[in-house]
Amino acid sequence: MRGVAVLSTSGLTMQFGPHRALDAVSVDVPHGVTGLVGANGAGKTTLMSIALGLRPPTAGTVTVLGLDPGQQARELRTRVGYVSERNVLPEDMPASDFVKHLAEVRGMPRHEAKGRASDALWLVGLGEERFRPLGTMSTGQRQRVKLAQAIAADPSLVLLDEPTDGLDPVQRDEMLALIRQISEDFSIDVVLSSHLLEEVERICDNIIALDAGRLVAHGRLEDLVGDTAIVTVELVEVDDRPGAADAVEQHLLRAGLEVVSRDMTRLRVGGADPRTSLDAIRDAIASADARVRRISTDRTTLEDLFTGVSS
Amino acid sequence: MTAPAEIFDRGYRRYEGERAGVGQAMRSVAWHTIRSVLGIGRKGRHKVFPAIVALVAFLPSIAFLALTILIGDMLGEALRPPYWELFGLPIVVVVLFATLVAPEALVRDRRDGMFRLYLSTPLTKPTYLIAKFAAVTAVMTIVVAGPVLLLLIGYTIQSLGPDGFGAWLGVAARILLSSVVIVVFMAALSLGASSLTDRRAIASVGVLGALVGVSIVIGICVDAIGVRHELRVLDPLGAPVEMAARIFGEIGPAGENPGRPTTPTWLVFVGASAWTTVWLGVLVARYRRLAAV
Repeated sequence: MRGVAVLSTSGLTMQFGPHRALDAVSVDVPHGVTGLVGANGAGKTTLMSIALGLRPPTAGTVTVLGLDPGQQARELRTRVGYVSERNVLPEDMPASDFVKHLAEVRGMPRHEAKGRASDALWLVGLGEERFRPLGTMSTGQRQRVKLAQAIAADPSLVLLDEPTDGLDPVQRDEMLALIRQISEDFSIDVVLSSHLLEEVERICDNIIALDAGRLVAHGRLEDLVGDTAIVTVELVEVDDRPGAADAVEQHLLRAGLEVVSRDMTRLRVGGADPRTSLDAIRDAIASADARVRRISTDRTTLEDLFTGVSS
Repeated sequence: MTAPAEIFDRGYRRYEGERAGVGQAMRSVAWHTIRSVLGIGRKGRHKVFPAIVALVAFLPSIAFLALTILIGDMLGEALRPPYWELFGLPIVVVVLFATLVAPEALVRDRRDGMFRLYLSTPLTKPTYLIAKFAAVTAVMTIVVAGPVLLLLIGYTIQSLGPDGFGAWLGVAARILLSSVVIVVFMAALSLGASSLTDRRAIASVGVLGALVGVSIVIGICVDAIGVRHELRVLDPLGAPVEMAARIFGEIGPAGENPGRPTTPTWLVFVGASAWTTVWLGVLVARYRRLAAV
């Protein structure tokens, strides 16, 4: 079953009256942790609700774990855990009862549900707190309880809608580490929706980037973000060495590199391989006897992807 | 002999065993709802209404029974009204239940996010509503049938019950049937009216309006304006007892029509069925429109 794509869509379109929430989205999501990113209203929650079989798409097809959510919703939902964006829970219910109840509803036999609820709560770090009513727990603890209920019935896939919403930086780090752990240690695939690009970059293997319902980018994170072949060189122009930047540029061109752009003493240098470029840049600076403020390899971030789309 | 020890904290692991179906999911939701509306496992304040309802439901029956035991059959029929009349008291109780307790079954799930979570499981809106309906009718059946059955059993022990086992079974079956039709009618009305809001207090007012308000309007129409007496079959407070009376082969107060023929039995049940259908329709229509995620 690991061979089947976690989520696969083809021309997936969702229209709400005049508003197009998803616009012909075609994507194959491999195993691991996948970040579903985009601004509020980008279509993330709509995609999740279609994936759960809670609403039929206007057009296109979707399969989740090889199942059609429209035709096999019941079977699919026994294998998918879900964490809602909303931070409301039954206030006076102990965490253990809450998780046990939802494990039962998701198909865990009654005699297993109690033990699995306890195990899931220990895993998320709430073993000692499991008998506390949910209303007495902090936001971070409640988010952990929501994660525990999603994994208690042993899903193959967990859909997390903004799981770090409302968490402080420490709680957010802990939650992200937990999400990574359930994927790595238990081979549970995760699709995580978030509008915080930085946290998606930190833990996801793959991304689906949506903007106003359109697919902006998708694929393995390492293919989309990371170091580029562009190296930025910032030189210091000093009085006793006028024209040092010009000299460096000439040396670089002679070495077969391309100066992509230049802003006074700041040069962006392109080449086939950043390592080779760095060697040539070092040699050019030495030959021109120039002084350097900084040399850095340019890095593409998810934010750059979105900025590129919007510009 | 002590129960065998169980270790629950074995560490999270994958599960390879069988999974239960939607039936278990519905039972779990129904049981969870019964616990919730009765205040089991919740703070003391959540137990107040259910406790009042239980007290009001069973206390009169226990008092009747105690009097019968203490003074025997000296007061005769005065202490032993027809069985259908015994539903008069549970009707008061079930109105209290429908107004104060039953709305909790639906409203709470929408308020605390459980409804959305349930729909991410194998449950669907119809199976969820069936589970909720089953839970509410189960608790209502206890408060409607319980006191009357208690009296039947008490009278039987005092040798004041029906003559012969066949007659006893007939009375017991009529009590149960009466309870079922009353409970289905009241549960549909209570859940239908409370499906329209996410606030329990407003739901309670809505249910009260659907019961007492409509009853008052029908009373005015019949008694003051002179609309035909048959309109009383739509009186949500009078119809339940009238149905019980008809099941016992008698005529209740809502069916009496001085100087004219009594309201036919089929019309009584058509009236109650109409209300049940309307409120179930409201419930289904409302939930069909509710967004799942």
